Amino acid sequence: MTEQISALMDDELAIEEATHILTSMQSSKQAAETWSQYHLIGDAMRGGAALSPHFKQNLMQKLELEPTVLAPNAIQAKVSKVDQLKNKLPATWSIAASFAAVMVVGWMAMQVQTQPNNELAPIEVAKVEPSEQSIPAEYLMAHQASAPSASSYYIQSVSYSESSR
Amino acid sequence: MKRSGLARFFASSSPALVLGVILCMSFNVQAATDENEWDVLQKAAVAARALSYQGIFICQTGQQVKSVQITHLFDGKNEFARNVLLDGSPREVLSQGGDLVIYNPKNEKIVIEKRRGQNMFPAVLPVNLDAVKENYSLRSGALERVAGRQSQVLILEPKDGLRYSYRFWIDTEYGLLLKSVMFNSRDEIMESIAFNQLALLSSVELDWFKPKIDHNKNYEMEDEQVVIADNGTPVDWVIKDLPAGYRKIDQMTRMVNGKPYPVTHIIFSDGLASVSLFIEPALKGHKSKILLRSVGNTSFYTSVNKGHLVTVVGEAPEATIVQIANAVVFRK
Repeated sequence: MTEQISALMDDELAIEEATHILTSMQSSKQAAETWSQYHLIGDAMRGGAALSPHFKQNLMQKLELEPTVLAPNAIQAKVSKVDQLKNKLPATWSIAASFAAVMVVGWMAMQVQTQPNNELAPIEVAKVEPSEQSIPAEYLMAHQASAPSASSYYIQSVSYSESSR
Repeated sequence: MKRSGLARFFASSSPALVLGVILCMSFNVQAATDENEWDVLQKAAVAARALSYQGIFICQTGQQVKSVQITHLFDGKNEFARNVLLDGSPREVLSQGGDLVIYNPKNEKIVIEKRRGQNMFPAVLPVNLDAVKENYSLRSGALERVAGRQSQVLILEPKDGLRYSYRFWIDTEYGLLLKSVMFNSRDEIMESIAFNQLALLSSVELDWFKPKIDHNKNYEMEDEQVVIADNGTPVDWVIKDLPAGYRKIDQMTRMVNGKPYPVTHIIFSDGLASVSLFIEPALKGHKSKILLRSVGNTSFYTSVNKGHLVTVVGEAPEATIVQIANAVVFRK
C-alpha cells in the first residue's frame, strides 16, 4: 500500500487507477497517515517549512472566515492556460534520447511566463566582488564560455545581481 | 610494436569508435606495476566517456567548495550526462557529447545557456594525450583509497615552470578517474575534484536525463553570444614566440560585455591548460596600465601595446600568461 501511495504522489500512477487508494485512505487511518507523512517528507526535502501540528484545524478556521468568492470561474480561466502547460510538462515528456528534448523542456518552461512585459525585463549586471584581487569578469566570462576549465562548470567566479531599468 | 599501432589507431579514429574498441578491450587493469603509466592515463580518459556511472564528487578551488551529483551514461554510441550542484543554487549541466545546456539560476529566473565542452570531470583528460606527453612527465605513486575504492596514484609533472602539476587517482578496477588535484610550483592545491561516492550504472534508461523544473521561476535563454568564427581578415599583428608547448587551438571574434566593439579572442592549450588572449583597440585616454593578477588557478594580465589592449587570462602560472601577451607583435 505504501508503495502505491508513493507512486500516486510521484504521478507514476494515474488518478483514475488510484480510486482504491483514495478509498482506503478515507477508511484506514494508517494509509491516511502515510499519505500525509510522505507529503511532509517531500516538503522537507524541497526545503519547505514543516506544517504545524494543528495546521488543518487552523486552516479550516481561517477558511470559514474568508468571504465567499461569487465568481470562481473568473479566477480559474486565468490560471487554466498556465496549468495546462504545467500539466503537460513532466507527464507527457517522453524519455527521448535527443538533446533537443532538453531544449524543449527549457522552451516549454519559458512558455509558463505569463506577462510579456519585455520593456521591464530586468538586466543582469555582472558584478565582481570589489576586491583588488579579482579578475575582470568580462574577460573571465568570455574565457570560460569558450575554454572552460574542469571546475568552472561548477564554481562561478562571477556573482549576479539584478536591476530594473 | 603493439603499442605504437594502438597509438596510431587512437590518433586516427573517431572518438566513438575508440570508445567502442576500448570497451571491448575491457577494463581489467592488471597490477599497475607492469603496466605503462601512460596506458593507465589513456584508459582513464576513455573510461570517463565510455562507462556509465553515478556518483557525487566535491569540486574545490580557491575559497569555494561545491558538491556535484553526476549521472553519466554511454549507450554504445552517445554520451549523456547530468550534473546537479548540491550546494548553493541548484545549477544543472546537461550534456550530450560535447554539447552542454546549463540551467543557471540567477535570482528570480533560470537562464538557459548553451556551451561546447569536452573536459567535464571525470573526463578532464583529453582522449588524445600526445600534447600532454610532450609537456609533462608521468610517474606512478602509491595505491590509495578514494570514495571507498582502491586507486592508483599517477603524478603528472610539467617539464618546465609554464604549467601546473597534477595528481590523478585512478580506480584500479574500472580504470575511471576518481580524483584529480592541480598543484602550483609551491605544491599548493589550486583545484581539487574528487568522487566521494561512485557506482556503475547497469541500466541504459534515460529517464533521469532532464532538468528539475522550478515552476515558480521564469526560464530564459541567455542572450545570444555574438561570436564570429575567424574569417581570415588581415590583422596588424602576429603571434611570435609562444611559451613552449602552447598551441593555438581556436580563434574567433566576439563581443565582450561592456565593450562597444568586437574583440579578437584566441585560445591556446598545452593539452590540459587553456589560456585566452584578447586583442582590441585601446580606447582613447585609456591609461596604459599594466595589471597582473592571479586568483586561485587563474592568472590575468593586461597591457597596452601600440594602441591595442592585450589581455590574457587562463589556468596557467603568471609567467605563461605574461609570455603569451608578449608574443603578440604589432606591425607598424
